[in-house]
Amino acid sequence: MLAMRKLWLAMIVILMLSLSIQTAMAKDKVVIGVIGPMSLPEGQAEKNAAMLSAEEINKEGGILGLPVEVVVGDTKLNPDSATAEFRRLATVENADVITGGFSSGVMAAMMETMAETKTVFLSDASSPAHPAKVAEDYEKYKYWFRISQNNGTTFAWDLADMIDFLNANGLKIKKVYVIRDEHIWTDAVMKDLKPLLEERGIEIVKDVQVPKGYTEYEQLIDEAESLNADLIMPILAIAGTGDVLAKQWGTLKPKIMLAGHDLAAIDAEFFDKTDGLANYEVFIADGGALVTAPPTEMCKKFIEAYKQKYGHYPESHQAYGAYDAVYIYKKAVEEASKAGEQNPFDPDVVVKYLEKYNPENPIKLTRTIAFHKNHALAWGDNYVRNWVSQWQDGKQYIISPKTVANGEFKIPPWLAQKEQEEKEQKTPETTKATPGFGILTAVAGLSVALSLAVLRRKTK
Amino acid sequence: MIELALKILIFGAVVSGIWALVASGFSLIFGVARILNFAHGTLFVLSAYFGIVLVKYGVNDYIAFVLGILFVGVVGVIIFRLTISPIKTHEVMVVIVTLAIALLVEQFLLLIFGEHGISFPSLISGVQNIGGVRITNIRILSFFVAIATLILLEVFITKTKTGKMINATSQDMEAAMLMGIDVDRIYLITMFISSILAGLGGLLYSQIFATTPIVSVKALIYAFAIVILGGLGSLRGSIIASFIVGYVIVVTITFLGARWSEFVMLLTIISILVVKPTGLFGVEE
Repeated sequence: MLAMRKLWLAMIVILMLSLSIQTAMAKDKVVIGVIGPMSLPEGQAEKNAAMLSAEEINKEGGILGLPVEVVVGDTKLNPDSATAEFRRLATVENADVITGGFSSGVMAAMMETMAETKTVFLSDASSPAHPAKVAEDYEKYKYWFRISQNNGTTFAWDLADMIDFLNANGLKIKKVYVIRDEHIWTDAVMKDLKPLLEERGIEIVKDVQVPKGYTEYEQLIDEAESLNADLIMPILAIAGTGDVLAKQWGTLKPKIMLAGHDLAAIDAEFFDKTDGLANYEVFIADGGALVTAPPTEMCKKFIEAYKQKYGHYPESHQAYGAYDAVYIYKKAVEEASKAGEQNPFDPDVVVKYLEKYNPENPIKLTRTIAFHKNHALAWGDNYVRNWVSQWQDGKQYIISPKTVANGEFKIPPWLAQKEQEEKEQKTPETTKATPGFGILTAVAGLSVALSLAVLRRKTK
Repeated sequence: MIELALKILIFGAVVSGIWALVASGFSLIFGVARILNFAHGTLFVLSAYFGIVLVKYGVNDYIAFVLGILFVGVVGVIIFRLTISPIKTHEVMVVIVTLAIALLVEQFLLLIFGEHGISFPSLISGVQNIGGVRITNIRILSFFVAIATLILLEVFITKTKTGKMINATSQDMEAAMLMGIDVDRIYLITMFISSILAGLGGLLYSQIFATTPIVSVKALIYAFAIVILGGLGSLRGSIIASFIVGYVIVVTITFLGARWSEFVMLLTIISILVVKPTGLFGVEE
């Protein structure tokens, strides 16, 4: 009886094995899933970049001879839609790997579906909570890797380094006025940033949280001035109005520098969209690449290919992550196959080979990619970090660190004047109105007076 | 203390001007034709996008500004003629149809322009220092333009023949018809004026801030909240309510923080409505 049972068990195991081998053998294409908010530049950039990489890889013979196909899911920036779409990509479209994401809350929800469907997920978003999950429950969450950008905790290091750089280059920043998203991701940044600024003897004069779509920055700039702040530090992504802040700063020209983590400023068209008023804004370039300062040869080629295919530069830094995701997946699968793995597409196998790209063994793609043990992206001058950058007359320049810089920091002329005034101990001049203002105000004032006169005469 | 009061006074005034324009347009069409136009916010952003496209194709900024306003006036009339007019007696249907138009246009704009903000070139640059408060010239200009427009609107409604016909229709549509007023024509004129008020607000807004498709929802919420606070259909109520809203926002930012501004604004409106359900200048029908 026992022998019979063992025989049955052996038969079932053999059957299952043969089925899985058959499935592997029957594979006729490699499916890359892209998931993101498709109405936003971030989602569009991810989709476009993944499609471009698939096209290039197919021209070169595909992955292990199999053609690459891209399928797309829309998160709508909503956890429910995101998990439903992730499940569809993983189970209906049979995606071998999924890339994309965007927004930490949505990512946290998708990680559960990822764990359930055991799908390799080369992702975006920045919350430290995501790699923490990998560290806490490795077996469940090991399929998750962050490839687009660094962990949120590193943003604080980038911002502190940015202040050091500005202070070493002509500014005297002692008081900082923070304007940040009313969102979990900025809480993490602030938690790490506060002690770093304290170490440097820098005071945060006010920490203002703004909701999504907030636009009344003039009042905040005025307050920053009255608190004698030397720096307005935006930590903005979700608010979506970094452009409005830059516009109002560029118009008011306060004696305060604008420098921080303004996601909108990475957009190659940001300068035009702000009517040129973003000139001199300093921002840290998320994702470790800028259109005008590609850190690797592959990045340079990618940017040009993207422009050629879509008629414009990548809409957001997520493009680099999605492009790298497809290539690193290809590399991992090929390495697995070379090493004689029976099914190189098996997610557990792919994870093993992706983990080989660690800080001791990085891979140079559009950026230099390496993963930590918790699958977060390695941070540093030799890997990926948010380079200190500046808008100068319509162009973005990386200004620090020196290893990748292609430009030098320029102090806004109205701030340089402040430095000069401080030296000469002069009182600042009041802002003069443009000549057109007098005419237009007079016209508007006359209209009001005329209307009032007509109204009064008629009522008599 | 005086400086702070002056700051609040000035910031409150400049914040309120544009919302007064938008809300008065929303209130006007409701007051005259009993139409809750949920596509009003859409007209607000459409003018800016149209103006921006014209500027991109080399049209002079001032001409683009005027054409942008007229464009939404025409769009408003078309929307009224084709979709609202056949169902105007069914108030719920009007809400559903105009909301559907708003969502449709928002998606269309998202596809074409994306979510990031774009700006209409500022017609005027520079900053004024008023009693130690630095205000951008475009904000001051927008305030004056808004006030001048609203006064002209008041003059038009109360003193001109067409305005009086609009007034008569708003008071009693059937009596107006019996007096020989072409009510359908009056509705079209009112819709045109309502739309150009939204358009003007939108073009001024995109110069001070930036236009995104999502702004249409913000404009609609503000217009709706202000009109309810002022009293549905009351033009003067809407204008006063706009200033209440503007000042509540500015005071909240000053004393409580930016994150609470819209929350406190909506809470204030609800509190006033609890005490006076018809709004500040509304009358019970």
